[in-house]
Amino acid sequence: MRDSRHARLILGTLLTVALVVLTVDHRAGAASPLWPLRTAGSWFFGTVEQVGGSVVRPVGGFFHAIVNAPAAQAELDRVKAENVRLRAGLAASRLDAARAAELKRLLGVAGLGGYKIVTANVVARRGQPGFEDAIEIDVGTGDGVRPEMTVLNGEGLVGRVIQATADSSTVVLISDPGSAAGARLEGGQEIGVVHGVGENGRLVRFRLLDSTAAITRGSRIVSFGSQRGAPYVAGVPIGVIERVEATPGELTRIAYARPYADLTALDVVGVVVGAPAKDPRDAVLPPKEGPR
Amino acid sequence: MIVGLCVLAAVLLQVMLINRLPLPAGGAPDVVLLVVVAMALLRGPAAGAIIGFCAGLLVDIVPPTAHLVGQYAFVFALVGYVAGRGVGGPATTVVLCVLMAPLVSAALGGLIADPRVTLSTLTEQVPVTVVYTLIVSPLAIWLVTRERPHPRFPQ
Repeated sequence: MRDSRHARLILGTLLTVALVVLTVDHRAGAASPLWPLRTAGSWFFGTVEQVGGSVVRPVGGFFHAIVNAPAAQAELDRVKAENVRLRAGLAASRLDAARAAELKRLLGVAGLGGYKIVTANVVARRGQPGFEDAIEIDVGTGDGVRPEMTVLNGEGLVGRVIQATADSSTVVLISDPGSAAGARLEGGQEIGVVHGVGENGRLVRFRLLDSTAAITRGSRIVSFGSQRGAPYVAGVPIGVIERVEATPGELTRIAYARPYADLTALDVVGVVVGAPAKDPRDAVLPPKEGPR
Repeated sequence: MIVGLCVLAAVLLQVMLINRLPLPAGGAPDVVLLVVVAMALLRGPAAGAIIGFCAGLLVDIVPPTAHLVGQYAFVFALVGYVAGRGVGGPATTVVLCVLMAPLVSAALGGLIADPRVTLSTLTEQVPVTVVYTLIVSPLAIWLVTRERPHPRFPQ
């Protein structure tokens, strides 16, 4: 009991002291007599805290890392996803730029030849090496595309439409071994037939009907054109002769030509829905390459 | 001496490490309070009140401080006395002290019209601190009282 009373006395004294200190500090504000105490504490413990801070900081950092690990993981995932998205966007914009350039070239060809074209994108491709070479494009009868229409791109002849549905069409490339296109040597009347030989369209075979005609490497061939422009309109550049085979005694001469159009990397193509009123002859041919 | 060192260590640990831990819900356990409670459990009400007063004064002057000197001296003196007297068993005493300290502190702040003491402080921050302190309390009490397995309880 004495102990308890003693303790109560001490408690009462201490609480009173605390309240007095509190009141003095509160009333006096900046002029408080406790400022020296506070300043001394600030100086001493501030120093201790600065010294200890360098020791304690790694510990805090460790806990920080542990506590933030889920959030950091989420952040990492988010940043990764964003990175993929941005990369895809970058690739898409690059593709768009390439596509715009192709469209521009295509329009140039169409303008030169006076062709009326419908532009299309290649959406699928069939091409086991050596077998059929065909592509699917995203325009169809709804856009005015009919079977047996010429397909070209900014560089030259690509193929012909063999089948058209409402909004897509199948195009057989000139590199398909089963395709044959009438062709004419540049600057003359010598005509022949272009056959595909597969080989992913790197070369096409040009069979010249007149075995005595002069044909050399570097000669250029354009499409001859069929009646009413089906399946091939006249004057579309086909390719450059790469190699002439010596075929003595034969009725025809055989040469191999490199197509202007890169048949392995087709993207934007045009379907000629209206043939020119007049054969453009050699007007659409690209500028001649230098002697090789 | 040992008491002084313990309190000093607790205060420094509190301001340098524990208050800076990014714990969920934005609170931190009050280690100084637990040390005061444990010391008072060991040494009885009179010593508990004195230890609490000194610890509170230390808390009041260790930077960073933005409250009035004497506030925590008052609170911890009261807590030390209550813990030293004991209310029921040790567990009850600790829980009561942990609950009492922030409420007394808030009441004192309200008396001197501290603008930081609002209803949202009482309903949002105080419970978080109380919960954290209660979680840590077994460890802290054990650390301080392990010398004597049975704390003295003057009845």
